[in-house]
Amino acid sequence: MPIKILSVDDSRTIRLIVGRSLRPYDCILCEAANGEEGLVAAAREKPDIILLDVTMPVMDGVTMLTKLKEDPALKSIPVIMLTAESGRDNVIHIARLGVRDYLVKPFKEEQLIDKVGRIVQLKKKEVSAPVAAPVPAV
Amino acid sequence: MNVQTPSLDIRHYLTGHLVEVFETMLSMKVTPLTAGQPPVFIERVTGSVGFGGDTVTGAVYLHLSATFANRITTAMLGLPPDEAIGETEVNDVIGECTNMLAGGLKSTLCDRSYDCAVSTPATIRGTSFVIESPQDVQHELLIFDYDGVRFAVEVHIKFNQTN
Repeated sequence: MPIKILSVDDSRTIRLIVGRSLRPYDCILCEAANGEEGLVAAAREKPDIILLDVTMPVMDGVTMLTKLKEDPALKSIPVIMLTAESGRDNVIHIARLGVRDYLVKPFKEEQLIDKVGRIVQLKKKEVSAPVAAPVPAV
Repeated sequence: MNVQTPSLDIRHYLTGHLVEVFETMLSMKVTPLTAGQPPVFIERVTGSVGFGGDTVTGAVYLHLSATFANRITTAMLGLPPDEAIGETEVNDVIGECTNMLAGGLKSTLCDRSYDCAVSTPATIRGTSFVIESPQDVQHELLIFDYDGVRFAVEVHIKFNQTN
């Protein structure tokens, strides 16, 4: 069963990089462009893990995370924060809200895979074998 | 409240941070230029992110030629260099690069007790525009080179000294 990953970031660029990083793995990527859309997507898709940006319009990542943790149906979904802000107080603040990990931008794709792989089991997609001609029923 | 001037060399910090952002996200090794004229662009793309709090306010700008902005976009998105890309993609990539620069500066300021928040990025395009700041605002212009192409980072920052 593929891992379901929700990427919440207002930057399409970051969502594309996340998608490119995860392409070799057996997973389904869902996307949302702000915290409000992210909460709706989380409730609908029940992802195995959420990658969450901090600074976004409409609803920021900290507010989304707070609401997520208040929802009994969603609070157990592990969250990795993707943030351009590595300040000590910022990291302590988001850690207290219950994130499993955080990744500071700029980041290398291998770092993202490493962080995600520590929380969910990522499996490489199998190279599909040539499809055999269907055997006619006797 | 008496606010001390932070022990922060903004030029030094942002120079190192820009080199890191370009190398990590774009696999581009850029060279900081210590002297020389600011780059002149025929058509310019500028990413901007503001930051503000009780004790510090300012903005970070990333100035690029439109051609170089396109090149950065294809590199960031992993596209062939000659791939046709739209302004939306370029704006998003340049905004995100500027966001990473400003986010790093914000973190450094916050670690020195200058709490502030950053804005979401904006992108300005044009052939002739100047960004001006009031006289009491510290202004830094950093110039870089990549493969013979010059670009710049501009920072406006004001520490609000209250006694």
